[in-house]
Amino acid sequence: MSDQDRTPENPLRRELPEEVPAAPADPQEPQEGGQEQERLSGRQRLVKGLWPPRASRAQLIVAVLLFGLGFGLAVQVASNSDSDSALRGARQEDLVRILDELGDRSQRLGDEKQGLEKQQQELENSSDQAEEARRQTVEKERQLGILAGTVAAQGPGITMTIEDTKGTVRADMLLDAIQELRAAGAEAIQVNGVRVVANTYLTDSGKSVSVDGNKINAPYRFKVIGKPQDLEPALNIPGGVVQTLEKEQATVTVERSDKIVVDALRAAKQPDYARSSSQ
Amino acid sequence: MIAVLGLVLGVVAGLLVRPEIPAAVEPYLPIAVVAALDAVFGGLRAMLDGIFDDKVFVVSFLSNVVVAALIVFLGDKLGVGAQLSTGVVVVLGIRIFSNAAAIRRHVFRA
Repeated sequence: MSDQDRTPENPLRRELPEEVPAAPADPQEPQEGGQEQERLSGRQRLVKGLWPPRASRAQLIVAVLLFGLGFGLAVQVASNSDSDSALRGARQEDLVRILDELGDRSQRLGDEKQGLEKQQQELENSSDQAEEARRQTVEKERQLGILAGTVAAQGPGITMTIEDTKGTVRADMLLDAIQELRAAGAEAIQVNGVRVVANTYLTDSGKSVSVDGNKINAPYRFKVIGKPQDLEPALNIPGGVVQTLEKEQATVTVERSDKIVVDALRAAKQPDYARSSSQ
Repeated sequence: MIAVLGLVLGVVAGLLVRPEIPAAVEPYLPIAVVAALDAVFGGLRAMLDGIFDDKVFVVSFLSNVVVAALIVFLGDKLGVGAQLSTGVVVVLGIRIFSNAAAIRRHVFRA
């Protein structure tokens, strides 16, 4: 473009050689000005189109089309922002995918529900079992309490009274009597208010006897729970406890009874070192 | 000015009326709107360039909308509707951007 502009001008310039240095700037200026004018006119056209409003054919047609565009735009935006109709605009494959995901999710939740129900059932069962175990433990504690002497006991049995006016009865004779009673199935024994248990010991103490360190005096009164039909013959067998005691000039009376109360107690002792290993 | 008024009136009417979109048109409306936006930007650029012609604008507006909807329709039939509509939106978006750049040069001279 500049070459074409210059070629007609060049002969002119050659007639005026002293202005040559300024020549290259000359053709630029109108061009620059032309571009400026065009940019300005673009802007001016925009301003002119906007104001003042003219009801030309072009304006009306464009207005109709833009009305359609604005309408569609607003409708689409409104329908898109409706949360409840979020699925309305979705395409078929998206809907299928969403349905699949929902199906998977509901299946997962169903599985989880099943697992939790099973767990609940197990917990209920185990709480029933714990209740049963607790009941059995209480029962066992009572049974063991009778053996250990921590609870009172009652039941059929015998009462044996040893009158010892001469003071000849020794601890070993009483121990023999206790052993004999145990062998005959005695379940709870007390002597003059002292409970006889597994670790009971008897010692001579002057004219009388000590049971577990408690001094007891004649008459020695044994209260024994067990089967009376077994206990009495066991004491009375020839050469047995009764005969041995009577040889020492003590008087022994044995009475059966339907209700013997063994109410002498012994404090439960917590072992210092031994621990239950049945955990 | 009347054109801008038309756009504003359209938006207001769309927000106020809230019409139920027919199910058959639903997938095509967003694409059609984007295509129309492209035509409007092209028309604005042409106006700034001084070569605006209302007949050309009407034809390009309508053909843009129809072709965009047609492409989506065809894509749905072929099973690639989602990809094709994405492609259409990308192409139209690029055109809108280049038109907007031209408009910007006119308005801000930058």
